[in-house]
Amino acid sequence: MKEIIRITVGLTVSCLIAALLMGSVFIVTDKAKKHNEHVNIQRAMLGLLGYTRGHPAPPDLRLYTMYRYIIEDGAIRTLGYMLPVVKGEHGGYQLVVIDLDGQFVNRFKLNITPEKVSEASERASAIKAVLKPPKTFVYSDSTIVAKLGQKRLAYLLPGKFPGFKTFIDVMLAIDPSFKIIGLEIMEQEEDPGLGAEINQDYFKNQFKEKSFEKIKKINVTKEPLPEEYKKYLETKKGRDFPLPKGVVDTIRSKYQDKDIYALTGATISSQAVTNGVKNMIRKFAYRINRLDSVISRQHIPVAF
Amino acid sequence: MPATTKTNFQLVSNGILNDNPIFRLALSMCPAVGISTTVMNGIMLGIAVLFVQVFSSCTIALIKDHIHPRIRIPTYTLTIATWVTVIDLVLAAYMPAAYKEMGIFVKLIVAFAIITMRLEVFACKNSVPASFWDGIGMGLGFMAGMVAIGFVRELLGMGTILGYDVLGFRPLLFFVLPAAGFFCVGIMMAMFNYMELVYNRKKKG
Amino acid sequence: MKILGRKYLLLNILLIICLFLIGGCKPEHRFVKKTAFKDTNKIVIEFAGPVDETWAKNRSNYTACEKPDPDIRLKIIDVSLSADKKKATLVFADDLNKNQPHVVTATKISSEGKSLGTAILNVKKFYLGYLFSILIGAMIINNFVFTKYLGLCVFFGVSQKKSTAVGMGITFTLVIVASAMMSWFIYQFVLQPYRLDFLQIVVFIGLVSLSVQAVDTILRKVNPLLFKAFGVYLVLVIANCIIIAVPLILADNEYNAWESLMLSLGAGLGFLIALFLMSSVRERLELANVPPTYRGLPIAFVLAGLFALSFLGFSGMSIF
Repeated sequence: MKEIIRITVGLTVSCLIAALLMGSVFIVTDKAKKHNEHVNIQRAMLGLLGYTRGHPAPPDLRLYTMYRYIIEDGAIRTLGYMLPVVKGEHGGYQLVVIDLDGQFVNRFKLNITPEKVSEASERASAIKAVLKPPKTFVYSDSTIVAKLGQKRLAYLLPGKFPGFKTFIDVMLAIDPSFKIIGLEIMEQEEDPGLGAEINQDYFKNQFKEKSFEKIKKINVTKEPLPEEYKKYLETKKGRDFPLPKGVVDTIRSKYQDKDIYALTGATISSQAVTNGVKNMIRKFAYRINRLDSVISRQHIPVAF
Repeated sequence: MPATTKTNFQLVSNGILNDNPIFRLALSMCPAVGISTTVMNGIMLGIAVLFVQVFSSCTIALIKDHIHPRIRIPTYTLTIATWVTVIDLVLAAYMPAAYKEMGIFVKLIVAFAIITMRLEVFACKNSVPASFWDGIGMGLGFMAGMVAIGFVRELLGMGTILGYDVLGFRPLLFFVLPAAGFFCVGIMMAMFNYMELVYNRKKKG
Repeated sequence: MKILGRKYLLLNILLIICLFLIGGCKPEHRFVKKTAFKDTNKIVIEFAGPVDETWAKNRSNYTACEKPDPDIRLKIIDVSLSADKKKATLVFADDLNKNQPHVVTATKISSEGKSLGTAILNVKKFYLGYLFSILIGAMIINNFVFTKYLGLCVFFGVSQKKSTAVGMGITFTLVIVASAMMSWFIYQFVLQPYRLDFLQIVVFIGLVSLSVQAVDTILRKVNPLLFKAFGVYLVLVIANCIIIAVPLILADNEYNAWESLMLSLGAGLGFLIALFLMSSVRERLELANVPPTYRGLPIAFVLAGLFALSFLGFSGMSIF
């Protein structure tokens, strides 16, 4: 009996010590983790826009995030856009509700500060405060609008689509005419050496500078990637062999309207990325046009 | 086994050479096959294992007199799981890129036979400093094995070392493929066996 | 006879599960019996009775979209009606993404002159098929030993003889299903709601030890004969990383109970398959003349490499 008590007490004490240790480490690291994630995404976004450490972003560059929700009221479904508005009027965020045909329905001001807006739970409680109970809503996606001075510089679209094995997580940058500025693969679990090559410059840089007209019907070709084009795609970052200026321009115009060259041994992964990018841009272009017309008709003082 | 009489240096070198966890004891093979595609992965996981091994060894050596023999194994498991959780949280927070690369294997350190074995065989019978050096030796031995496999696979598969382009071309893409880990480990084990054979023959003759 | 009875019991349980799952997939309108995907770009709607041809063939009576994108309507280029007027097939301009559930709205369904109101129909892939694909996925396509490189220590340790391999495989499957379901339950109802997910490693390893101990005790009491055959392997189960990897994967992917059951069952059976294949080859290998430096583990690794290469052929395959 005495032994049992000794064992129980010993185990309880060691469990307590272990829990205390893990708990304190968790509290310390959790903040750092969130901060680092935020910094990483920020850096990826700036990188896509062409700002690196050696070439920092100008001080008047602003990134605004808008969030899209699907609102359900019984059988009727509407879209809710959570938009940042100019400070002064109400400041902060507004929820603009648009029906499925692109007509304005309603708008609400939300009680949320810009510091808290990146937390999903904070956003949900702010929206819950303005939408009356039978209505339910689910988060759908978000878009980041980059603004330089007074004009829109680019849209940054985070996206996720099925690849060959699991999901591919990407960040896409397009300019206001929906031309691609850049593509970054954030997360993927394709086969190393095969599908994982989508992360290489010579694949993802092929998407750069494709126009909206081209991207609408872009496809994948199984032809081998020409050597000069590969060199061009890889020098974009400014390392290794720099190409003379004249050559760069001729190669760019030569391949601008070509299809995407598939990776050797990973056609399906290449196809998945191409289709994913195509669908993302098509849907986004359709939505932003409708949203912009509502914004201008209703005179919503959006920040971007 | 009575308390060890080896010097600290012998303890460390024992872990790296005679009792190398990967090539000699053939324990904890999963990461050696799974994520040994690059040298960097080997170093990162090696550091994580070193950390868990050293801290667990020291913890057990410190409290060895208070552990009831009946709950020995659960105590070991709890100790290892605690330290694995700590390193997991730290890596996830401060090195997200490397952590993502290693995936589930950091958490799986908890199931590595090598760590439990060292606690059972060594740390519960020796002093804290000796256990510390033994843990360092085992951790370094594991790291050395991982780095050796990673070196071969990265050089032959991608033509790079630690991400720097060394060869300028890719000799055998096959070595990056996940399945090649098995071949690599098998062939390297055979090479170790061969060297031992030659060494013994020389000693005799 | 007794074994036969048990088999029937198992079959009955499976049947009940199937019925339950099929019953869960019914569309929401009383006049619509079934909706399903067909080919790459078609959706079939089956009505309970005949519908009016003029209504059914009018494309503007239908709208369709993917569930997460209700504002982007998919273009319907044709509607055809079967001879008995009970089955309408919608043909779309582009291929459908079948991984997403679709929503089809049929306005003012008209049957024999009567209006039956508007139906909002969910079109999904067959759920049972999805479960089955998880099972096969974990078992073969993403086999834990040959494509994820887990559980290798035990794998090389017990794959020398066919009989031990099968024994280990069966024991392992039993324990992994039990422990994975327990871990799933604890994770979903305790760790996640109270934001304690950083404790998952400690909790999962504890549950694994617990279930090993439980299976050990129960087997010893209930069936000593079986215990004699399989008891030895129970100790080894805990040294296998798959058993701790599966709960971690379940926690990461937020699977529900059925999906968790399928994944853990698939992981166990996949380990059994891998062990059986490997042991068959290693038994044959004993008769071969292997160079002395390769004897034992090295040649086993090369063999496993060959298996892994052939399993690479399954990579990315999708069923249903």
